[in-house]
Amino acid sequence: MKDMIPVDRKMSTMQDSKISARGVQVYYGDNHAIKDVDVDIADKTVTAFIGPSGCGKSTFLRCINRMNDTIDVARVVGDIRIDGEDIYDPKVDPVQLRAKVGMVFQKPNPFPKSIYDNVAYGPKIHGLARNKAELDEIVEKSLRKAALWTEAKDRLNSPGTGLSGGQQQRLCIARAIATAPEVLLMDEPCSALDPIATAQVEELIDELRQSFSVVIVTHSMQQAARVSQKTAFFHLGNLVEYDDTDKIFTNPQDPRTESYISGRIG
Amino acid sequence: MTDAPSDLPNSAAVSNGHASLLSENPMMKKRNAAETRFKLYGIFALTVGLAFLIFLTVSILRNGIPAFTQTVVNVEFTLTQEQFDEAESKMLKTAAYTDIFVNNITAQFQERGLDVEFDNKAIERLLGKVGGDLRSFYRENPAMIGQPANFELSTASRVERYLQGKLTREMVVDGRFLEAADLDVVDAMVGAGIIGTAWDWNFITGTDTGVDNPGGAGIGASVIGSFFMMLVVLLLSLPIGVAASIYLEEFAPKNRWTDLIEVNISNLAAVPSIVFGILGLAVFIQFAHLPQSAPLVGGLVLTLMTLPTIVISTRASLKSVPPSIRDAALGVGASKMQSVFHHVLPLAMPGILTGTIIGLAQALGETAPLLLIGMVGYVAREYPDSLSSGLLDPNSAMPAQIYTWAARSDEAFFEKAWGGIIILLIFLLTMNIIAIILRRRFERRW
Amino acid sequence: MSNTVILLIVLGLGVFGFFAGRARALATAGGDRRLLHSLPNYYGANVGLNTIVPAAIVLFVWSIVQPMVINGSVSGMIDQDAIAEGSSLGLIMSDVRRVAEGLDVAVAEGVMTPDVASDIRTDFSNVREILAEVGVALGSGVTAETLQAAQGYRAMAGIGNLLKTAVVLLISVAGMGVTWRMITRDYRARNVVEKGIMMVLIGAASIAILTTVGIVLSLIFNTYEFFKLYPFTDFFFGTNWAPSFSGRGGSSELGILPLLWGTLYISFIALLVAVPIGLFAAIYLSEYASKSVRSIAKPMLEVLAGIPTIVYGLFALLTVGPMLVGVFGDGGMLGVNWMSGGTAVMTAGLVMGMMLIPFVSSLSDDIINAVPQAMRDGSLGLGATHSETVRQVIIPAALPGIVGAILLAASRAIGETMIVVLGAGAAARLSLNPFDAMTTVTAKIVSQLTGDSDFSSPVALVAFALGITLFVVTLGLNIFALYIVRKYREQYE
Repeated sequence: MKDMIPVDRKMSTMQDSKISARGVQVYYGDNHAIKDVDVDIADKTVTAFIGPSGCGKSTFLRCINRMNDTIDVARVVGDIRIDGEDIYDPKVDPVQLRAKVGMVFQKPNPFPKSIYDNVAYGPKIHGLARNKAELDEIVEKSLRKAALWTEAKDRLNSPGTGLSGGQQQRLCIARAIATAPEVLLMDEPCSALDPIATAQVEELIDELRQSFSVVIVTHSMQQAARVSQKTAFFHLGNLVEYDDTDKIFTNPQDPRTESYISGRIG
Repeated sequence: MTDAPSDLPNSAAVSNGHASLLSENPMMKKRNAAETRFKLYGIFALTVGLAFLIFLTVSILRNGIPAFTQTVVNVEFTLTQEQFDEAESKMLKTAAYTDIFVNNITAQFQERGLDVEFDNKAIERLLGKVGGDLRSFYRENPAMIGQPANFELSTASRVERYLQGKLTREMVVDGRFLEAADLDVVDAMVGAGIIGTAWDWNFITGTDTGVDNPGGAGIGASVIGSFFMMLVVLLLSLPIGVAASIYLEEFAPKNRWTDLIEVNISNLAAVPSIVFGILGLAVFIQFAHLPQSAPLVGGLVLTLMTLPTIVISTRASLKSVPPSIRDAALGVGASKMQSVFHHVLPLAMPGILTGTIIGLAQALGETAPLLLIGMVGYVAREYPDSLSSGLLDPNSAMPAQIYTWAARSDEAFFEKAWGGIIILLIFLLTMNIIAIILRRRFERRW
Repeated sequence: MSNTVILLIVLGLGVFGFFAGRARALATAGGDRRLLHSLPNYYGANVGLNTIVPAAIVLFVWSIVQPMVINGSVSGMIDQDAIAEGSSLGLIMSDVRRVAEGLDVAVAEGVMTPDVASDIRTDFSNVREILAEVGVALGSGVTAETLQAAQGYRAMAGIGNLLKTAVVLLISVAGMGVTWRMITRDYRARNVVEKGIMMVLIGAASIAILTTVGIVLSLIFNTYEFFKLYPFTDFFFGTNWAPSFSGRGGSSELGILPLLWGTLYISFIALLVAVPIGLFAAIYLSEYASKSVRSIAKPMLEVLAGIPTIVYGLFALLTVGPMLVGVFGDGGMLGVNWMSGGTAVMTAGLVMGMMLIPFVSSLSDDIINAVPQAMRDGSLGLGATHSETVRQVIIPAALPGIVGAILLAASRAIGETMIVVLGAGAAARLSLNPFDAMTTVTAKIVSQLTGDSDFSSPVALVAFALGITLFVVTLGLNIFALYIVRKYREQYE
């Protein structure tokens, strides 16, 4: 079932939407995992993807930075545009795309390198700094933006794997934003963290939306209600409803959305 | 914050001032080139490795296959009754036969217009004891007298090397084995079309010869020696290895003694084979006074070498049997030992057998320990005649035999060494294929 | 009676005991086997095992101890002053044993009667000739002392063997009787038998320790003997290897340094070949290759590991050597004259490298696959190319494991024998030229122990000193490598 946004609103949002998807299907071998998804994601906003397990939220998220390319049996059909440019165009190099679209994963995965090297890795390979001083600056900026600078500045050379869970995830966020992306994709970033670390990361997400367009997949409806401005509800591979967050949670249009919100399915 | 992208030259800007994805970032070219180069290094390395393998295989086949063939002289010969009686009446009977032979060959040459002079001695240098062979043939087959008979006579190894081009006239020093003039006879035989090649069964079934007869050397005795050694290895290492694995896997408590045993086993698996040779020399030969160069001693040393391999693979097989089987047996009231021997062990058997075959294959190819227990330089001149002599009489084994041939100064033995390698590799290939088939057929997926 | 016959009798008694025990068990249950604690066979096995095992152990131990005891007491008979210059007690004792064996053979073949053998004296007959008649060769003439000692040896051995037979058979029968009498219906035969089997299993597992102990002891004893005859500073720090075979090793120079140098140089070249090829092949196969390529190429590389080293040795001697001479030798392709003969460090090093490629590649492949996928995803998500991910994230993460693999390969290279024996030559030399022939520790072990020297002379005993050095070095490398690999695995588990 298509989303119920009225046509005129759709027209205006296409202009200033950062990411727009039309008719996206994803197949894993013979399994039709994502069915006919249309969505417009705005810039400088936090958009949450919610839905029960296995409904395709993460799969769709991974389409946006073409991480599904690394899986042999995955096939993507449809139109996904960032800033109006089709990211599946043959001229587009996925490596370049991923500098523009950053990703933070479910389980913190810092490299077995120092904190400094973890953050500096992205800028180095994309040649974003002309000399060491510039690189230092980028690292410091990213760590500050990720709210990790005060804790890390005295031990930039110690291994990233020596930090606590919450700190590691913030390190991964710092690492992702160091390449100056425009979109930040977050795949259940807090599911492996304790409540205090979760609160820290959520606070961070709220600040990040001032600079990026953030798309966050989350299992927790409460988290979606806390951090996002727009929410999309996925169910069995379909995008069922997409609207402002408070609308979805207080007055959902589709009965399936209502069932999920009230806990009858999930 | 995001200032870098729009500073990059040559990047087309999109409506909101950010770099376009559709235009190529100049750095990408370098990075993609690096990617391609890296892949090429990998492909190159892989190709070099495989090329080594192919080079080795080609080398083995090219050098070894001639060992299986020998040059022969095909002669059609009719001995009349009078000639037979005349020869038998003489005092030097074999010489008489040789004369008859020489006359026959000379006649055949003259028919073809080849004019070569040669005498009995030349024929004996080239073809060995022709007279004796002919005499025994006709005495055993009197019915063939008066009938045309085809003889396939094997030539001396130097003839073969001459025909292969490895021995030239300039290299020949007139002596006991060959004279330069003899080569003219060979040429004549080639001209007459009576020289050919035939399969050399003697190489496969024969025994080693002394240093003066490279052509007659065979690998048969060493194969038997290897066989007895492998018998010893199998009979000792399989039971001991399985027993040790059962203990370590099923019964051993987690204490220091067990840790020590496990550490020992993994270390022994990595000890160089020559150290085992030293052990064998010191314990079995010096201390226990077992006979030198006997397959029994070789088998004992190789058992000690193979034990760690068998233990490691047996433990893996035992581990793969799920605990539910053991629990089920215990639940019916079997003792722990009964559950192991009646249930776990039979289920793990395919894996155990596969591991044993592979261990035996490794042991078959080992050379260094055998050299130290005396198999170097030993000339295996005869086949053993019984089980105990097969085990206790000095003999050679395939790898040691190959080494002995390679270490002799006469180059004619090198060809035999290559041929021996082919035989050894055939055995190894067969054993490995059997192991793979066993694994495929009997492997269970729990 | 010979040991084999004794053993057969004991086995026969054991079988008899088995059936007797079984019968008695059934008898105590009144013929109803359900009333027995264990299956009837366990009762029989109990008797059988107690008949055979103690007796066999005693037989085995006695056979080992008896020669040692007799040796000891006969050595005491020999006058210390009579030991000739340049000889040793060990050599004299081996002469004594040989004469004793020779006398045995002579009696067995009927050349001598037993009385004559015990009473013969060298003054009256030429013992050496008589023994030569029956095929026993002696190095020099038989002295009176040696003959007396040999006769004493024979006498003691005869008594010892008689006692042995009696004691062993007695133990066997006693075992059978005692166990048989213990059988009742409720006797827990199965538990007893299983305990016995457990002992066997433990024994089998202990053979691993025995082997190590055996290796260490045999090396240490003989090395000790060696250092009694040759100063160990000269051995470990000597730079010359020139064994002299005159007499009992009078003026040999036996320094290990040239041999160690040869070993290390050849291993270095081998690793230089094997590590880049093996590592890059492993990277390509695990990161880039398609399933079909991998399923063909990987087994093919493994084949290189299964080829016996004698094949590689021959390959080095007869194919690679001449080929290299054709390039680097006199009149060769490059027109230089660096290489005088086919056997050289380069030859052996190249071929050994070939052999080690699958070693390095297989271990590296396992290690690279152990790096978690999350690490790859993290790097790719940042926009790194595949090769950048491999070079800057995966390999550094896998580095400890790869270093461990290289160390294991080095240990294998150091311990390798056949390739260097055939491919590197026998000249002990300290040279930097890789085209020279240089020999190694392992090759010299083979040549010193397969020569004609007596085992008690320094030139033969030095092989044990070399052996223990080799053993310690390879063991150290292995333990170190396994330690590194284990620490690396802990990082990810």
